[in-house]
Amino acid sequence: MLVIAAQTGSRPAFATLYERFHRVVHAIALARVSASDANDVVQDVFAEAWAKLGGVREPAAFPGWIVMLARSRAIDHARKQRPTEAPGDLAVEPPPRAEAAAALDALRALPDTYRETLIMRLVEGLSGPEIAERTGMTPDSVRVHLHRGMKLLREALQ
Amino acid sequence: MSNDYLYDRSGSDPEVAQLEELLGAYRHDAPLRELPGTPVRSLRARRIALIAVPVLAAAAVVLVVLLRRTEEVPRAATACTGDTGFAFNVTGGSASCAGGAASTGSLTVGDWFETARDGVANVKVANIGEMTVYGDSKLRLVGTGPNEHRLELAHGKLSAHVVAPPRIFIIDTPAAAAVDLGCAYDMEVDGAGRTHLRVSTGAVSLEGKAGHTAYVLAGHEVDVVPGRGPGTPVAIDTTPAVRTAVAKLDAGEAAGLPALLEAAQPNDMVTLWNVVARTAGAQRVQAIAKLETFAQLPLDVSRERVLAGEPAALDAWRESVIARWLAPW
Repeated sequence: MLVIAAQTGSRPAFATLYERFHRVVHAIALARVSASDANDVVQDVFAEAWAKLGGVREPAAFPGWIVMLARSRAIDHARKQRPTEAPGDLAVEPPPRAEAAAALDALRALPDTYRETLIMRLVEGLSGPEIAERTGMTPDSVRVHLHRGMKLLREALQ
Repeated sequence: MSNDYLYDRSGSDPEVAQLEELLGAYRHDAPLRELPGTPVRSLRARRIALIAVPVLAAAAVVLVVLLRRTEEVPRAATACTGDTGFAFNVTGGSASCAGGAASTGSLTVGDWFETARDGVANVKVANIGEMTVYGDSKLRLVGTGPNEHRLELAHGKLSAHVVAPPRIFIIDTPAAAAVDLGCAYDMEVDGAGRTHLRVSTGAVSLEGKAGHTAYVLAGHEVDVVPGRGPGTPVAIDTTPAVRTAVAKLDAGEAAGLPALLEAAQPNDMVTLWNVVARTAGAQRVQAIAKLETFAQLPLDVSRERVLAGEPAALDAWRESVIARWLAPW
């Protein structure tokens, strides 16, 4: 109902969708661009979602749709950055802690399959069931991604 | 209690907790910026609103009428008195539970609930949804718990509407298991065990006894024949040519795939994704090529991974296909 209400122009409904999904979108962006740019990607994605929400013909598909939109915009943003920004320049300004920046870099170096899911869990603080609900992935897939990703992250941090 | 802190925060894992605290510094807390004017509503969205408002209003009226009827009609003796999580209410005709006439009650694990030819009943699905069971139907509660609610529909017809995380609600039929991925759907099983599934919102994973699976998105339907497993889902408004081609494909006829590739339109991209997922070798190559004309592979998914049938790659492409099918702009 939230999606239908937002499609009819309800800002409170759209704000609720934002509350529910902004961390998922941020995690997807953070997997690909710098922390400061990730904030811009989040705002761009929701501005575009607000403009294009009318095209979503199935409200239940909103999670998959916003995830796809976030990936597209994050990839676009990363492409624009590429000529001027090397991976080592990705730290947020000012970095919360050097240790945190190193951990984030290690997360970003994980394979695509695990990176987003693990950022949703470790950075955004979403639980596995919340990730499944908000991305359309199955709980089993989320569990597998988290554990395999965590194994790789441990190896990378050692 | 499980001990999987990484997944659901049960138990403890100091290393993960430390990483959470460290990386939590990057957590997103910014509010939503000011939005521009009202979003442009597409014809499709207007159609949704046009349908949703009257349907919700009608549903409210029907609910009030049913509640009044429920208050007025004297209750028959209740045959089933299980946990109220699966309370049933016969709203038309007659029904029986565990062999005894019943107009209200609750399903208990193992007992069969049957509606007469003219029977209609509402059945609560724990705290996640409800079903309408139509005439000449026979079903039972197989099991219920925090992680799964499972029923069996031996024959008959039902409509289910569930709002829950994926894979919590499952209905077994003689031919397959319908695993809810958060949705509403209609299901019908005939006397020979053939199952027809039509999904109206969300998606259902229809899983055959031999591991064969069909992903049935809203706006699609599929048939399942016992012994053969789930067929290939088709869009409800697809062309007769696609239906004929899919029927041949599901029957194992060699002419099925070329006919489908020839007839498929953008509206059939979910059908094509299912074909990609369940074929191999040259057939998969052909199906991939056709589907790519409607929905490109995501940038981080290679054709080789899809060709190899890697589940993560197939899932990623499916998400992209769904987004394209649902909101083509």
